[in-house]
Amino acid sequence: MTRRFRQALAFEWVKFRSVRSTVWTTAVMAALPAPGAAFVAATGSLQPDDTVLGGSLTLSVPALMLAAVVGALTVCGEYGSGTVRTTFAVVPRRGTVLAAKAVLVAGLLYALALPATAGAYLVGDALLDDGYAQGEPLPALFGVAAAFSVAGLLGLAAGTLIRHAAGTVTAVIAALLLPSMIGPLFGGAERWVAGSSPTAALEKLMQTSDASTDAVGSLGAWPSLLLVTGYTALALLAAAALLRRRDV
Amino acid sequence: MAGRARLPSVGDMIDVHELTKRYGAKSAVDGLSFTVRPGRVTGFLGPNGAGKSTTMRLILGLDAPTSGSALVGGRAYAELAAPLRTVGSLLDAKGVHGGRSAYAHLAGMAAGSGIPRRRVDEVLREVGLDPATARRRTKGFSLGMGQRLGIAAALLGDPAVLILDEPVNGLDTEGIRWIRELMKSLAAEGRTVFLSSHLMSELELTADHLVVIGRGRLLADAPMREFIESHSGGQTLVRSPEAERLRELLRAAGGRVSLDARGGWLVDGLATAAIGELARHHGVALHELTPRLSSLEEVYTAMAGATGEYRTEAAR
Repeated sequence: MTRRFRQALAFEWVKFRSVRSTVWTTAVMAALPAPGAAFVAATGSLQPDDTVLGGSLTLSVPALMLAAVVGALTVCGEYGSGTVRTTFAVVPRRGTVLAAKAVLVAGLLYALALPATAGAYLVGDALLDDGYAQGEPLPALFGVAAAFSVAGLLGLAAGTLIRHAAGTVTAVIAALLLPSMIGPLFGGAERWVAGSSPTAALEKLMQTSDASTDAVGSLGAWPSLLLVTGYTALALLAAAALLRRRDV
Repeated sequence: MAGRARLPSVGDMIDVHELTKRYGAKSAVDGLSFTVRPGRVTGFLGPNGAGKSTTMRLILGLDAPTSGSALVGGRAYAELAAPLRTVGSLLDAKGVHGGRSAYAHLAGMAAGSGIPRRRVDEVLREVGLDPATARRRTKGFSLGMGQRLGIAAALLGDPAVLILDEPVNGLDTEGIRWIRELMKSLAAEGRTVFLSSHLMSELELTADHLVVIGRGRLLADAPMREFIESHSGGQTLVRSPEAERLRELLRAAGGRVSLDARGGWLVDGLATAAIGELARHHGVALHELTPRLSSLEEVYTAMAGATGEYRTEAAR
């Protein structure tokens, strides 16, 4: 890492932890999965064909949305308050700013999502009845944590492109939720539409019964994650290109 | 700030060259060229909407020019090795997140430019924000406190160049006097101080040099005194115990004479020196002989009127 980049990263970290919205959204995201596992076990609401891993991570889907919101907030908060001018006065190389935000968002979300989802699995494993298939938590949980990082980056890219918080959050929630909602409308193409969303990649990694081949396609869990990572990277590149050219 | 002394150097100049910024068909800045030199306060004067803020954003690299260039120390802002240590800026919109404390705002900027954290405490003290206030979220700040935070941010990197957009906005009389003294002392240390205002009276008391724009075009670039002199009406106030005799002499020499409200004659059309010599030649004693300078306000009003623009501004 160059000195410039380290400084930009330190700048982003101070900004991230000194505003309530980003701190609380991140905290709720990390706290959500474990109680979800306990809740599913207490209500006995798990489908018979589900896995312990999938059932334990039930609330990791809404947590994934919060991860995307965290990514969006790190940039939309700047545009909303005008801080973006201060940021670019301090670090005039805008690509560096976006890269620092991306490293912070991806690193932080991974570091929090991994223990949060692993903890949820341990809670579910202890509380759920023995009748269910176990599922394979390793290496799947590393992929689950990576899905959180990718969702955060998608939020960051969308936020950089759209700039307004409300619009960005709507857009990323739609990207996460809509494919599985409107997928059935596409008939035979459902599994292509629904299967390409970050949520589908997460569900496949979770080995939940929701991730049936009919609903989200036959593309495997890891290739799905790779696909989502690929288009997120493209979105970030587009965001970087626009950011360099745009007046602030 | 004590103990810091700088020598003016070429590296500290702001150099705006043929700068143009168009938004659609409208030019916010139109072929603007001027230089801001170190060691003095340069006022950037123009009515609201004249293009001052746009010019400053262009200098800071926040907006990209349609054509032309704006350089600091010979380099574009984005190419500066240490931007915050070279240029301190305060923009009209302060650029502070309301949910963040003043301290965290400055600490982030310091972290982002490799400036030691203790410098945050120094600038907070310098602008008079006490530690308890600095730890509060800026949402509850008054306009004046926000402006002090903005100045603190500008001073953070101990920069050679200061670019301040309307720094006295929202400050009380004591705050305005503080800014005025601060600007002068920063310039006296050899720094380049460039501050905009639409308040002509404010610049008249602070600035040594003036860059005046209207509708994105340069109207004047001159030392303050020269600007006022060259744009004054060329009137002279003259008083004498032999008032009537003097008036006859002045009229005979081709001057237009009118009575000044405070006593004495206001003379148009004769140079001040010529009036003095005329009086001596005829043995008339003079008690006062003063070239009457227009205030900056009057000059700007006259200029604006002459170009047929900003009549409502001029009428203020």
